[in-house]
Amino acid sequence: MVAFILAGLITLPLLYVMVSAITADTAVWRRLWTTRIPELVFNTFSLAASVAVIDLVLGVSLAWILTRYRFVGSTVWNWLIILPLAIPSYVLAYTYTFLLQRNGPLEHAWQLIAGADAQIFSPFSFAGATLVMSINTFPFVYLLARSAFQNSNISFEEAARATGASPLRTFFRVSLPMIRPSLMAGLFLAILYVASDFGAMAMLRYQTFTYAIYQQMTGRFDNTAAACLSLFLVSCTFIFLLGERWFRKRSRFYQTTGRFRKPIPQACSPMQTIGFTGVLVIVFAIAFGIPVFLLVQWTLDALAAGELASGFMGYVWNSIFLAGTTATLAIVCGIPLAYLACRKQTWASLLCIQGAYTGYVLPGPVAALAVLVLVSHIMPELYGTVLVLLIAYLVHFLPVALQGMESTLHQLSPNLEEAARSLGSRSLRTFRTVTFPLVRGGFLSAWILVFVQCMKELPATLLLRPVGFDTLAIRIWLEASEELYQLAAPPALLIVAITIPVVFLLMKKVQQTVTRKA
Amino acid sequence: MRSRSTARILTYSVCLIVSLLCGPPLSFSGDSLVVYSGRAERLIKPVLDAFQAESGIAIQMLTADSTALVNRLRMEGKRSPADVFITNDAGTLERARELHLLQATDIPGIEDAIPQSFRAPDNSWIGLSGRIWVVVYNTTMVKPDALSSILDLAKPQWKGKVAIPSAGSVYLQTGVSVIREVKGDAATKEFLRGLKDNAGTSVYGKNRQIVAAVARGEVAVGLVNHYYIHRHVAKHPDAPIAQLLLDQEKNGMGLVLNAAGIGITAHAKNLAQAKALVRFLISTKGQQMFASVNKEYPLNVNVDAAPELLPLKSFQVANVPLSRLAELRDPTMTVIEHVGLR
Repeated sequence: MVAFILAGLITLPLLYVMVSAITADTAVWRRLWTTRIPELVFNTFSLAASVAVIDLVLGVSLAWILTRYRFVGSTVWNWLIILPLAIPSYVLAYTYTFLLQRNGPLEHAWQLIAGADAQIFSPFSFAGATLVMSINTFPFVYLLARSAFQNSNISFEEAARATGASPLRTFFRVSLPMIRPSLMAGLFLAILYVASDFGAMAMLRYQTFTYAIYQQMTGRFDNTAAACLSLFLVSCTFIFLLGERWFRKRSRFYQTTGRFRKPIPQACSPMQTIGFTGVLVIVFAIAFGIPVFLLVQWTLDALAAGELASGFMGYVWNSIFLAGTTATLAIVCGIPLAYLACRKQTWASLLCIQGAYTGYVLPGPVAALAVLVLVSHIMPELYGTVLVLLIAYLVHFLPVALQGMESTLHQLSPNLEEAARSLGSRSLRTFRTVTFPLVRGGFLSAWILVFVQCMKELPATLLLRPVGFDTLAIRIWLEASEELYQLAAPPALLIVAITIPVVFLLMKKVQQTVTRKA
Repeated sequence: MRSRSTARILTYSVCLIVSLLCGPPLSFSGDSLVVYSGRAERLIKPVLDAFQAESGIAIQMLTADSTALVNRLRMEGKRSPADVFITNDAGTLERARELHLLQATDIPGIEDAIPQSFRAPDNSWIGLSGRIWVVVYNTTMVKPDALSSILDLAKPQWKGKVAIPSAGSVYLQTGVSVIREVKGDAATKEFLRGLKDNAGTSVYGKNRQIVAAVARGEVAVGLVNHYYIHRHVAKHPDAPIAQLLLDQEKNGMGLVLNAAGIGITAHAKNLAQAKALVRFLISTKGQQMFASVNKEYPLNVNVDAAPELLPLKSFQVANVPLSRLAELRDPTMTVIEHVGLR
């Protein structure tokens, strides 16, 4: 019952946006069709496609190198190469607006190679957006490709080689097709991430749906156009997700029993070691090393100049408070939902769970818009209070918590609870004494994931924060959009530092599932 | 042990939420003032800090896009915590007035300080500082007589040489509104199409970036508010840039002039403090800060602009009243979107 109410509350804002979009004046729709939608569709799709291709090449080749070869430092690289996930997209974007500016560091470097008049592409372009988004998302593909390569049965590849196929042919005809489901999952993640990104797109002024929705909300005196664009985007995402599910059903590979052999990494020749290390160093430098180096340098500059914003500790506290509260709320609200998903499989409960997951497909500005529209209609007295921001966070990030909690609960046999119940323990007590201690670890990591997502959140915070509630992310945004690189660096560096352990936690979880399966 | 600490974290968090919900979310005691500001913090904070130091009134500021703040004031209605609304566009202030978000204000001496054209008739908004939309050019690349009208920037010979603000910029919107009003929609669209082609990827979110790009010689000319040029030159005295005042011929369009200003919100809770802020901002001291720190034109007739600026009276300004900018805004946005400026 509680679960149903919660799911209803979570989906309500989205329904509100839908209704206001459908009932919108046809003139608004016509204006959008003629001026915005075609371009936005093209921009969003072409960016997603190019990022997908680059992610695929980077992710798969790095995963292949790091699972099939053994060389000095290869285990360390395994950990380093996922670090780009710790940098929020908008931080990466702002470091690259500095690096790629005309007469900037990268252009000077390029001129050494290509002659004094050579120009490098502008960060405010398709190429710039592609670069930033691909280096921000390739670790998704890498992580999934990596565990798939580790799990794939080496016997198939050996059979191909034994029957005379070249290594290259074996790779493309046997190894790669076998990990296709994982690759697809990784790609879908990356594409969803690109389509829903606000911060980087806004910094690079690259017009995608998500950014355009924010622009309509802040540039016009009514939200109808923003609602229309949201409806369009959410429908596209929905179709996309259905496609994903259909695809996943079609392409399942089953392990034949008995003959599974784990691939054993080959030792490398010195030449190979140098080559591989070179590739890894370059990718790492572009995606993490250089941006973070810049952040550190700028932070030191800001500290030396005494320019650290006077309210800095206040911003830290606001961020931690919001993120901590949301994470706790997400866990508390997630318990009944996750419970329902795992223990009672009826169509009603399925509907309920899917409803709660809608926040997942909502880009930040849409979640903010949804909550905004809802609150202003039902409870206008709440507008401008922290509570509204918390609701928006919850709608947006509950799915993150739910995913983690659901998988934890799934691993727990219902027999344990039933035993406790049959011995006369009431359900609340059973939960406290039996279930909770067992799922504590999983819940804690769900809590941490939500916490980090909230720390990074930008669009909803921008639109809904109360007076005096600037967070670290907001400060980065305000300073960086004035190109005050030094002032934006300290909060950015702090967010990266907080996120790194969480990325490692994620990595550890992926590895655990790999070893468990194997 | 671990279970107890997890439980403790949970308990603490719940307590936090409860305490948050019980107390009013924002209750300021003593002398305080809530400012919604659509201006860059860098340009307004020094002045507000000076006021805070002088009056002892603590200022809480929320910085966001001007239009978003109007939407917000509207939605908050009576419950809005805002006492004053500061923004960089008179059109937005006028729109806020039309939506009954601001209140008429009686401030002694204001009639003598700020000219009528820079205030709402009932003083529900008051212009504080003026800015003109000018061309910044690189003195090593362009001769000042190469341009006579802003519309010339759409001509093919400027291809790849112009930097323009992004479509989200209030300055661009104001400029386009004025051009539409004077030249009509068809001519404006033609101008914008040419401008868009000529600018290519040189579209910038911030005026500061445009001035810097012109100073570096990446583009020959750019469209900016005048004070960004003077601020740049104050920092880099050797920068090869200068401003060009266009459309000055007889019966010409004149320059686009806009004002940043302030209005006391309809539901201001700290009315006395809000009035004190307005008085400070239009006083000689406050106005001098706009003049010397920001290089804007002080609108108080008794305060002079920075010495390096041409006097406001010495050039011709487009004959479009500031209050007209409000109604021109929406159709202008549609024109901009239609041409496809980004």
